Amino acid sequence: MGLIREPKNVDFTFESKPWTEVELRDFRKLMTELKSKKVKQKVRGLDARKKVIA
Amino acid sequence: MVKKSKYKPLDFVIDKLTNSIENTSTGEVFDTEVVRLVLKDISQVKKTDWQFDWAKELKDKTKEVYKLTTENNHSIIQGLISIEDKQDHIFMHLIESAKFNKNKDKVYLGVPGNLVAYACKVSVDSGYQGFLAFDAKTALIKHYQESLYATHFRGLKMFIETKAALRLISQYFKS
Repeated sequence: MGLIREPKNVDFTFESKPWTEVELRDFRKLMTELKSKKVKQKVRGLDARKKVIA
Repeated sequence: MVKKSKYKPLDFVIDKLTNSIENTSTGEVFDTEVVRLVLKDISQVKKTDWQFDWAKELKDKTKEVYKLTTENNHSIIQGLISIEDKQDHIFMHLIESAKFNKNKDKVYLGVPGNLVAYACKVSVDSGYQGFLAFDAKTALIKHYQESLYATHFRGLKMFIETKAALRLISQYFKS
């Protein structure tokens, strides 16, 4: 197990502003692409395993 | 332009919610717990001790507030986080370390990272594949890319995606 040790002189403080509709829409588009890419990778992995078994 | 940090993919199972923070002077590591706060717990968060208005976060029904404490002392809050379930990802509104965990004299290291990892865990548990969105200060974007494996989306907007989230969780939660 590792710890993320932020530098002593740096404080990780987050204060987010609500994202605009456009920002959210674009982010969701990107997120959907990334999520589906991951699913495709999983499917490809399963196909490869099936071929080995066959 | 989307910039991604480099990391090795990980594959693991999380079965124990024990994480930790490190004392800056002794190097001693303390196990911690993350517990949800609700409005009736408002007295635990003294207004003068915190920069942000945590009462406002607790009153907002769209948000969930969690406190980080050491396992042995639940009354001393090491840090707070406010997150919102956006139905397909988790949005991180606020993170703040306790006064004594700020600046160069901070007592413990690892408080914000610990809370971010917890938010990633919430995202995974909610079926959002670890996706976590937030705003960063300009000067810290690089830090977050390197330490939190975050992806720069645009402007101050950043996010953590599945592999990065799993890596963060693995760093903080014993498997």
